[in-house]
Order: sequence, then structure tokens, then C-alpha cells
Amino acid sequence: MNKEKSITSIVGAGLLALAAAVGVPAPAAAADGAALLAANCLSCHSALGSTISRVEGQRKSPEGWQMTITRMQEQHGAKISPQDKRALIKYLADTRGLAPTEAAPWRYLLEHDNNRVEALDDTYKDMCARCHSGARFALQRRSEGEWSLLMHSHIGLNPTLEFHSLARDRAWFQHAVGEIAPALARDFALDAKAWTAWQAAPRVTLAGSWRITGYLPGKGEFEGRMTASAAGEDRFELRLEGRYADGGALAGSGVATVYTGYEWRGSVDIDGVALRQVLAADARATTMKGRQHLAASRRVGGELVAVRESAAPRLVAVMPGHLRRGETAELTLVGSGLDGAVSLGSGVRVLEVVARSADRVVVRARAEGGDGLRDVAVGAARGKGLLAVYERVARVDVEPANAIARVGGPGDAQMEKVGVAYRALGWAAGRDGKAGTADDLRLGYLPVQWSIEAADEEAEKARDQDFVGRIGADGVFVPGDAGPNPARPKSLGNTGRVKVVAAVGEAGERVEGRGSLDVAVPDFVQRALD
Amino acid sequence: MTLIRRISTLGAAGLLGAAALLAGCATPAHKAAATDAEYLLTVTRPGLLHVIDMKTDRIARSCEVPGKFGSGALVPAPDGRHAFVLGNLWEDVYGFELETCKLVFSARQSEGDVTVKTVQSLAVSADGSELYTVQNPVRRGADRFEVLPPRLAVYRIADGLDAKPVRSFPVKRRITKIAATAGGEVILGGADVEAIDVRSGALRTVSALASWERGPRWLTPDAFAMHSQGEHLNEYVMPYVTAKFADDKQDMASAQWWWGMSRVDLATGKAETREIFPFEFVIFSLLADPRDRNILYGAFNTLSKHDIAKRETLKVVELDHTYYSLQLSRDASRIYVGGAGSTISIHDSATLEKIGMIQLPGDMSTADVRVAYKRHESR
Repeated sequence: MNKEKSITSIVGAGLLALAAAVGVPAPAAAADGAALLAANCLSCHSALGSTISRVEGQRKSPEGWQMTITRMQEQHGAKISPQDKRALIKYLADTRGLAPTEAAPWRYLLEHDNNRVEALDDTYKDMCARCHSGARFALQRRSEGEWSLLMHSHIGLNPTLEFHSLARDRAWFQHAVGEIAPALARDFALDAKAWTAWQAAPRVTLAGSWRITGYLPGKGEFEGRMTASAAGEDRFELRLEGRYADGGALAGSGVATVYTGYEWRGSVDIDGVALRQVLAADARATTMKGRQHLAASRRVGGELVAVRESAAPRLVAVMPGHLRRGETAELTLVGSGLDGAVSLGSGVRVLEVVARSADRVVVRARAEGGDGLRDVAVGAARGKGLLAVYERVARVDVEPANAIARVGGPGDAQMEKVGVAYRALGWAAGRDGKAGTADDLRLGYLPVQWSIEAADEEAEKARDQDFVGRIGADGVFVPGDAGPNPARPKSLGNTGRVKVVAAVGEAGERVEGRGSLDVAVPDFVQRALD
Repeated sequence: MTLIRRISTLGAAGLLGAAALLAGCATPAHKAAATDAEYLLTVTRPGLLHVIDMKTDRIARSCEVPGKFGSGALVPAPDGRHAFVLGNLWEDVYGFELETCKLVFSARQSEGDVTVKTVQSLAVSADGSELYTVQNPVRRGADRFEVLPPRLAVYRIADGLDAKPVRSFPVKRRITKIAATAGGEVILGGADVEAIDVRSGALRTVSALASWERGPRWLTPDAFAMHSQGEHLNEYVMPYVTAKFADDKQDMASAQWWWGMSRVDLATGKAETREIFPFEFVIFSLLADPRDRNILYGAFNTLSKHDIAKRETLKVVELDHTYYSLQLSRDASRIYVGGAGSTISIHDSATLEKIGMIQLPGDMSTADVRVAYKRHESR
């Protein structure tokens, strides 16, 4: 099977990702930012010291500022060059951004990891998250006046908004201005200690050598090294090398820009596939965590973790991270400066060291003993709970548990398909022997058999599972074509509701997990943040 | 969201040539010849008002609506010879003489930095002299939007092209369909059904819906209408959905769901508001049979027939696609189901059986389907 084809066949619009392209000049330094703001914005906004009207009452993520400027261009006729736009986004995110703790609960939206049910205060569910994600506003900070003006903009830009179902059952606009704006000003306040502290905190460069681990749909788990060389203020050239879990080599290069001191946005080409990285560095700049997705389809991606390398030996992962009792399997211990004896924890015997280098040690091992997490060590490098030993898989969680795919194509005039990349997370039952309880033992992601079935009786009647699309052996769901389908009642399109089934184990021991998948119509409005 | 996006990307519409003056524009009482003409009217993209002869079910003529497509909302004048169309991204109103397609009226509601949208709210006075719209203005400042209070705008139809409102009065937000009564009021379909005096601007509640006080056993109704549902009976219908709970806990699962309606007699301005039959499927427009006002027809994904005296659904047939609105032939023998596509489906009102189809050259989108003939009862 051609893996690259399988991941890139789900292309969608990737043009909106905020990532520095090779060859684009480095953004202007912060000192120039105020001048750029004045030069590009004062034909409509008024000057307020070093800032301008409207902007002075707001802080947001780099993508938030990107959306703002894009709206100024598309809706209000602003003429801003691509270079100035990049520099303005950088300047605004640096000077009017979010502290790491402010963005932390909502990072999934920045990462475009949208297939999830958001945890939102009831106040905002119907009023706001009926049309867009909750994270979209939670990744902004405004004064009450600015939150209020945002409500005016909503009606100005979307005049039918207050007529929608779940809006017309209340005096939407009065409620938005009178109650929601003050609530937002309280919950997402412009002035915050976290932001003041983050602005004052010393900046640590993210240049250096990073040990990376992650997952790419259609390719699997990988590990490697990413070297970031400074190439201007907050700008880096990247080189990547490593290998996939199946032993295949991984090589790539790219660039990254860091916004607000910690928001890493990388644009890399790995083995001919264009990818985007959305990571957040921790306060000491020793670890970056986030997601890497296809440039052409931002829904298709997987986690990416980068751990800064230093002189000290370090163990970052065991791949795979689970070993069934009584079975012999090959495990790869990933880290840097790995030297010395390998220990896989109590009851796990290393039968053979198959290969070893300072970066990785491949062993054949056999597990005994009870279910549980084992601490792993290679010489002085230690990793707590990196290996799960288990007897049987008791539960499989389909991730994402709730997802939306979108039909698309065929043909250039149509919207591209938006697929879903699935993984199956395995669990052992834990001490109580019951699956689905708090003491379940997380085993990590497992290879499973994927299939789809109708979501319920009504979906079965309409044979949704026959029309909505297909899921591949690699867990990538590719939706069907857009447009009316004469084979369906009322020429219904290939939309529908299905369950995605992950099955593991032989007959008699078979364990299944299910996720809910809605295959919907194309989303015709493309935005930086949904 | 596409529609919203489209209507928000405003553009200047090429408007009226100076030559299009109001020579001989018809005002109310039109006589003789065309009295018995019966036309089915609808609008399709990119901007055509179709005048369909209901004797032959063929398009007699198609009038070009200036500017961009609106919502397709339209209202026939009581003389049966004129109709007014909401065009240009829900902003402008254009009036046509149906026999000739001559443009006899226009009003550009947006002005300067204030953009005015009308959400389906078009009505003509019973005497045919005035046109009413509900305007939803937003000021587009240099760096901010300012939502302004909505208002009822009154136009004198005889003012012809480029007419300006002669009066305006504040109204509540979120008003859709409106209709003029014989007594000089306009019925306003919003969260509640209200009536406004077109001389004084005085408002009165006709049917309390969102603000009804029925206690915890009844769900606050969702009242909404996009299309005309009763002018053939000189009535205004605002359907709603509500639920009756078994107890004060308001358990949705065990609740009884009902369709209801506020039915306003446009001769008297009085309304009857009550539940009419169980909610079993979505209906977008409801229409009463003039031979028996207790018989109602409904359309959306299905065409249905209901007896509201017995609070029963009598018959339901599947439609070949979604439709938004429906009308009856003057003799009530045929139902015309339109909107949401390029076909009008014709059904026998006794059996609901499909008996014909009118193929239009474009998509009706959210357009009204209306019947124009001389309204004797409005005299």
C-alpha cells in the first residue's frame, strides 16, 4: 500500500496555516511593528500612542491576529502586502498575545485538532459555540468595550444570525451585548497577571537539538532529531532525520517562526510531504508539545513532542510502549546519549540487544509478572512508566471519539474532502478486572482492524455506511464525493452518521471500541481557526 | 454560512437608469381586463421574477430584477397586477407591473455608511397605496460596526423609482414576515406576533408567543416563518412548535410535541392562537384550504394535510426534494410547492398526488411562491 498516497489523498485547503515559507524574508523586528501598524491601518483606525483603535483593547493568538488581518483584507478592502502581514501578525502576537497558561486549555484549536466535544460554560454554548468553536473566543482577551463591539460586528457581518434556531428563542443581540460581553470581559479579561508575568519573563531561544517523537497518519509512529538553527529573530531553519516504527527512514527540512516567545509554527517537508507543526514550548524551553499535520489537510495529523537535548543522557520513549505477558517482541528505546545496561523493569527480560547507538537501542524482550507500568533505564538514562505490561486488552478507545468528516470533490470546482485520521487506544482492565473503570491501565495505541457501521436504526435504514466513505487499514477515513447522489432517497448527498469500529484480538477475545462519525456537507468558509 | 457570507460581501448594485421613470405607474384600483388573471409568482437566481399563468402552468414572462439576488421574498399588490421583490442582498425593493415587466417602483434602503437588510419583511397596504418593510440597519464606521434599532419603513408606492420612506417607526428585532390589515396596521412576525399602527407607530401584541405565560408545563414556542401563508384567505399565519410536559420537571423525552399557530384575521387584526396537530416532522410553510379553514397543508421534505379541528394529520406524502413554501390555485384544487430548487411541484389537494411540475430556469433558493389575482375582499 502506498502510504503517502493514503494520507495525501484527503487533501483540504492548507493555505491558511500560519507557517513561514522558505524564501520569505524574516519578519521585521518589534521596533518596526508599530510603524507597520501605522502605515497599514491608520486609513481606518485612529492612532493611540504606539497602538491603534480596536487593537488596543485586544490580545490573541498568532492565528487570531491572522484572522483579523485577513478579515480586514477580505471584508474591508485593506491592502497589505504578504511581508507586512507576516510582520504584523508577529508584532501583534508578540506584544498583544496570550500567556502560555491562557492558551493552554484551548490549544487544540491552534493545532486544528478539532474533532472533540468542547468543555464550555453553558453561558457560551448556545450564544457562541452554536456557530464556531468555543476555543475561538477563549483564545482572545478583550476589554468589555471590545467584547461588546464584537457583538456589533457579528450582526454587521452576519445579518441573519439572530434569526437562527437557538438564537431566535431569545433577544439575541440584547443578550449578547448586555450579558455575554460582560461575562466574556470577566472570564477572558484583557488585563491579566499571567500576561504581565509572561511579558516580563526572560526569553530562552528555541535553537538547538531536539529529540522528537510523534505519529503521522498512514505512516505510523516515528522518532528522530530536529535541529533548529537560528536564522533571524525568532526564526529557525530546521533539519529533521529519524525513522518510522517500521524501520523506514525519515528525513526532512523546513523553517519555523516563534510567536509570543513560545508559539512554535513550523513548516517542514518530510520525505516529500508538506507538513505544519504547531507546538508550544514550556517556560524553560526544554520541551515542545503539540501536533503536526498535513499542510494540505490540517485535520490529518498526529502528536509531536520535542525534548531538548543536552549533555546528559535522556530516555524519551519506548516504541511500542506495551508488551503482552508471555510474548516476545522487539522494542525500541529512544533517547540521546544512551549508554549502559538496559533495564525494562520488573519481570521484563531483555533477551537480546538487536542494535544500539547513542540515540536508540533495539531489544528483543519478554514480559512476565503482573499488569502494570514498568520503569525503563539505559545506563543513567531513566524513564518512568514507559512500558506497559499486560495480559489482555480489555478496552479499546477510538480516537477521536466524536468526529466530523466532510464530503468533497470531485473536480476542481468543489471543496476538497475532509477526512479523519483514527487511532485506537488500548487499555488493560487493571486490578479490579473490569474495563472502563478508573484503574484501567493505559497501553498506548494498538494496531486494530477498522470498519464502519450505521450509527443507529435510522442511519441503517438509509444505508449511510454504504455511502459516506471508507476507512482504510491505517485508520484514515476518506469521505465520499460531494453533490446529490441519485442512488439515495431525495438524491441525498453522501452525508450520514456512522460508527467507526476498532477491533482487536482473536475470536473469543475480541474487543471492540466505537467512535461516532458524522459525515457532513462541505464547509465552504475557510478560516484560520474554526 | 455561505449565504451569510454572500450577503455580507456587499457590493454596489447597478441600479436604475434615469429613463425608467414612473410614467403611468399603477396605483391601487386596477380595473376590468386583468381581473381574472391568476398568476403564480416566484423569483430565481440570478434575478428573475417569473410570472406563471396558472391556467397553463407555464411561464408567461420573466422580469429582470436589478442588482444582485436578494432572498427572493416578494409580495403581490392587492390589485393582482403588481408585485414587489426584495433584491440586492436583501437590501433593495423593486416593484413590477406583471403584465409588462415594467419596473414601476424601487427603493434602495441602504444609504451612506448605513447598510439596511430586510429579512423577508415586505407588505403592501390593503388599499395598495403603501409598501412596508422592516429595516435592520447597521452603521459601518471606519473601524467598527454599530447595530442600530430596527424600524418599520413606510413607502408611498406612487413615489415610483428611487422612493424614500415617508414615515418610519421603531419595532423589535428579528422580525420576518409581515402583512397589512384592513384596519391600517401591519402584523409583525417576530418573537411575538405584534401589530403596528402605520400612522402612529403604536404597537400592540397580537399573540404572545415567546412571552406567553403558560407556566412550566409548556415549552416556550419556537415561532418562525419565512414565507407567506395565508393571503388567499386574507389571513396571516405564524406557525410555532411547542411541547407540553408531563410535569414541572420539563422532561423533553416524555413531552408531547405540538405544532401550533397564531392565525391573524387581516380584516379584523384579531388572532386565534392554539396548538393545531402533533409535531411529527418539520414543516416550513402552512396554508389553509379556503373551502374548509380547518384543513391545512404543510410543506418541507413532505407534503401533508391536516385537520386542525380534530388536531390530526390526515395524509403525508414524500416530496422529491426539500421545498420551502406552498400555495393553492384559486379554486383550491391544486397545491403548488416551491422554493429550495428549480422545480415547482404540483399536487392534487384532495389526494396530495403529484399531478405536474413547472421547471424554472434557475434556483428559487429562499424565494417566496405567491399567487397574484385581484383581491375582492380587500376592497
